[in-house]
Amino acid sequence: MRPARLLATVTAVVATAALVAGCTSGGAPGGSGSPDPDATVTVGLVLEPSDLDIRHTDGIALDQVLIDNVYQGLVGRTQDNEIVDVLASEHTVSDDGLTYAFTLQDGVTFHDGAAMTAADVVWSLQQVQSDETVAGHADLSAVSSISAPSDDTVVLTLSRPDSALLFALSGRAGLVLEQAATNDLSTTAVGTGPFELASWTQGDNLQLTRADDYWGTPAGVGTVVFRYVTDSSAAINATLSGDLDVQTAVDATLSSQLEGAEGISLETGKTTDKYTLAFNNAVAPFTDVRVRQALRMAIDNDALIAAVGGSAVDQGGPVPELDPGYTDLTSVDAYDPDAAKALLAEAGHADDLDLTLEYANFYPAAIGDVLTTQLAAVGVTLTVDQVDFTTWLDDVYTAPADGSPRDFQLSMVNHAETHDFGNWADPSYYWGYDSAPVQQLYAESLAATDPAVADQKLAAAAEIVSEDAPAEWLYTATTLTAVRDGVTGFPTSSTSTRLDLSELAATE
Amino acid sequence: MTRFLLGRLALFAVGLVVASVLIFATLRLLPGDVAQSLAGTNGSPAQVDAIRASLGLDRPVVVQYLDWLRGLVQLDLGRSLVTGTPVAEEVGEKLTVTLPLAGLSLVVGLLVGVPLGVVSALRHRRASGALLGVAAQVLAAVPVVWAGMLLIALFGVTLRLLPTQGFPVDGWDEPGRALRSLVLPALTIGLVEGAVLFRFTRSAAIGALDEDYVRAAAAKGQTTTRALVRHGLPNVLLSVVSVLGLQVAGLVVGAVVVEQLFALPGLGRMLVSDVGRRDLTKVQGELMTLTALVLTVGLLVDVVHRRLDPRLREGGE
Amino acid sequence: MRRPAPRLRRVSVVGVLLRTPRGAAAATWLALLLVAAAVSRAWTPLDPFTTDPYSAWLPPSAAHLLGTDSVGRDIASYLLAASATTVVVAVCAGLVAVVVGLGLAALGSLTARWVRDGVAVLIDVLVAFPTILVAMALAAAFGGSLTVVVVATGVGYGVTIARVSRSEIRRVVREDYVTAARASGAGTAAVLRRHVLPNIAPVFVVQLSLAMATSILAEAGLSFLGYGASAETASWGRLLSDLQKFLGVHPWTVLGPGLAITLTVLALNLLGDAVRDAADPRLRTRSPGRGGTLPPEPRAPGPSPADPARSPAPEVTS
Repeated sequence: MRPARLLATVTAVVATAALVAGCTSGGAPGGSGSPDPDATVTVGLVLEPSDLDIRHTDGIALDQVLIDNVYQGLVGRTQDNEIVDVLASEHTVSDDGLTYAFTLQDGVTFHDGAAMTAADVVWSLQQVQSDETVAGHADLSAVSSISAPSDDTVVLTLSRPDSALLFALSGRAGLVLEQAATNDLSTTAVGTGPFELASWTQGDNLQLTRADDYWGTPAGVGTVVFRYVTDSSAAINATLSGDLDVQTAVDATLSSQLEGAEGISLETGKTTDKYTLAFNNAVAPFTDVRVRQALRMAIDNDALIAAVGGSAVDQGGPVPELDPGYTDLTSVDAYDPDAAKALLAEAGHADDLDLTLEYANFYPAAIGDVLTTQLAAVGVTLTVDQVDFTTWLDDVYTAPADGSPRDFQLSMVNHAETHDFGNWADPSYYWGYDSAPVQQLYAESLAATDPAVADQKLAAAAEIVSEDAPAEWLYTATTLTAVRDGVTGFPTSSTSTRLDLSELAATE
Repeated sequence: MTRFLLGRLALFAVGLVVASVLIFATLRLLPGDVAQSLAGTNGSPAQVDAIRASLGLDRPVVVQYLDWLRGLVQLDLGRSLVTGTPVAEEVGEKLTVTLPLAGLSLVVGLLVGVPLGVVSALRHRRASGALLGVAAQVLAAVPVVWAGMLLIALFGVTLRLLPTQGFPVDGWDEPGRALRSLVLPALTIGLVEGAVLFRFTRSAAIGALDEDYVRAAAAKGQTTTRALVRHGLPNVLLSVVSVLGLQVAGLVVGAVVVEQLFALPGLGRMLVSDVGRRDLTKVQGELMTLTALVLTVGLLVDVVHRRLDPRLREGGE
Repeated sequence: MRRPAPRLRRVSVVGVLLRTPRGAAAATWLALLLVAAAVSRAWTPLDPFTTDPYSAWLPPSAAHLLGTDSVGRDIASYLLAASATTVVVAVCAGLVAVVVGLGLAALGSLTARWVRDGVAVLIDVLVAFPTILVAMALAAAFGGSLTVVVVATGVGYGVTIARVSRSEIRRVVREDYVTAARASGAGTAAVLRRHVLPNIAPVFVVQLSLAMATSILAEAGLSFLGYGASAETASWGRLLSDLQKFLGVHPWTVLGPGLAITLTVLALNLLGDAVRDAADPRLRTRSPGRGGTLPPEPRAPGPSPADPARSPAPEVTS
């Protein structure tokens, strides 16, 4: 009977085609053998920079791909946040903390062939110091003069000691650019690093190729392709199908898909990704410390951590483990819903608080859902508003032009930067926290010439901040990185802020 | 035929114009002040005016519409409000995924729906025919999203035969891989569309079974099946063609949802994200493209149908 | 002597409906849905929105009939609460479709000739527009919401209803009994009320059930895309969207919401079929079961492509 036979044939053909296609899928998992110096490694990242202007555009997305790889500074940092010399072969700090001297490396060249001179270094630092629109400007506020007493020395003279200066120089403030270069910074980059910026297709990928005339040890791979995948399950699928060799920021709720996968290993690393629930301290009811403390006590951080897959740690205060001044402050305003209810009643808000939480829509909705339930348990009604990032910047972060207080109540964002305690000593920062003792201690910490003293002061300041409860630190993320077998040297810590790929190597 | 063609083309043109007016009106007039929302809550009046002028929003509405229309005719869909890149380029790129997806889905739908519809009609008095009918009824009630999820759960996750999501970065440079990424999505849309086509085919075939010429052939000794296939099938297929035009609308719908589910970089997915970003210029261009596609296919289908139907041809053409 | 117009006796429709197994099943499911929707406004086993991350992804148990989701919400309670959303969307969309449809149909058949022809062309043009594009356009302008879903589906299907009703109205208006009524002095309104409406009623009810089915599929699809129900409103489509991310780790949790949508749409489709079969035996396409051949389907030369009255299935809008 023709129709039936036709149908059977068609079904068979389609099924066979699907099976054949399925069986001839992707090659064998990453091979063994020696690293291939011309390998291409595809790395999955999440948030793409809006442009590449390292001087004027904020955002760790630029730091992530450009610093250490394309741009370098006098000093850099290890995965444990220790300072190392990079463009400087050595550095000294005077005992009074007012003079920093850097001896420059020999034979450093920029990607366009020009040699790096002391003049380039001085010019770069002066750009940051003198222009307030340049990223890192505030970090050099203590620097009074920058000079090059000889061809291979650069000296910074400070008006006051600044214990945070050296670390700041390992970031945007210390990058060395070529004075004579005229390239458009927003789409191109000329630096001294082991990689050159090869191309950038916005919305898709950014490519780095090995700089063959690099002054130091050449990079171990020929090309690095960064692909931006915002959807967490799409990223995992790309890793499973071999489209990505390395995937950063693996979503912990989905990581079980990778756990059994052949040829892929999951690495855990620490970060300074502080998921901070900020109160608008300038407006009621947050002007009452009891309300703030009660809100902190209403939140069960462990439950939140479970809701985002478990790859995070509780953080009781503003300083994460990787930063100086860290102490365990998780006992401050720890989870205690009964105490929270009592405190709210005492403050006169037993069950009449109706609050709104605003956060960007690339964070999981689970956070808002869980917080809603937890606050409801103490009589607070929470409404969650997930908006796109530009709207969040507009509503929460940017100060209104007319000087009125910002118009938000609760906000959540991931403060991923390291060494950013200074935000708590800045009364103009979006959370509006203004504490003289904290500002005093912070200034003392900066002025300390002994790192141990600086740490101590910071820790004391952090404790005051935690007790003042201007925010609730929901958790500090632990990051998961998926690496294909055969790829080595990929950093596993603080991957959202820095990715030093100088040691990256891959087989096949 | 010529008269029909002219009339149908006129209808097509009217459709395009009406669509353009409706799309333009909805996206330019309804959302309120676009310049203000682009400048943000902190934008000064001067900034808002500057944005308004640069986008040409300070001109009379009719002028803006005619300008856009003129651009449409030249295939210039304007520039994105968010990134400033030309819309037509991106639309063209995304169509290299959406058009093959729609085509494959249609093929699957036809391969599934038509033969099974004929079989079911031949057996419509028996259990097997009724069963097929029930199955199609159920399938037609399944949301496309859910069908896709079930297929992913079965073929992608449990059996690990096919990629669950995504499209190769190199696009069609590796046709094998690209096609593999389209198998599950095309099956998803195709199965649900196939259920609809099944029911049309079945009812048309049952009707054909009662036609005199089929009954006559059966009386002359041919089996019902052969009689239907040799004499009734052309008419049945004609009915199916007549219905294809509307089914394309279903394909477009399916594509938007399926591209989102399977993370395919097609026009539907771009439309969804642009609506979220309130990039009104891009949304205008994308909606116009999709509507034009639907109307064009409808026109082609009607013309083909008219050409093929012997009863509709005027004498001598 | 001419027979009077075949009036539809309401009793017979319901009777036929419940006599066929399919009609009875459909009616039962829809009744259950209405009850569930009503009950859910007052009570659900657990609060559908309360999270409990320590109880995420629990398998079905006595405490959680369908298990829990990624943040520990009780899926069964959520589905129950979402049934109310479904009923509201379906009814509202149906109403909008009816109003738009009847309005356009009236404009297209009972007015001056040029208005009639213009509306006819407009209807033919609008019928081709996919509902989802209408919804996306409205969502771009106003942001996504259930109102957008209702308006888009209502208007989209309303145009289809208009087309069907219009041809039905024109058919009935030409019948002898209407001419007779007119000749005996009855006004247009009386003619409409007594002769036209009752006779287009069956086609109308069929279209209404299809409109409601379409709106449910549309709500599922649009909520999945993020332009339908908001986070505070329980919706089957939204649950599908929430579960999509976890397809790789918990693939079969999508069975609950998907099945709910499918069964409801199926019930509405079957209802429409049953009403059509009961109302007008000429439109039946299946064998009556008692032997003998069917009278051939009335086939006018040049069928209008995809006449929804003869279409056995709704436009797929999800």
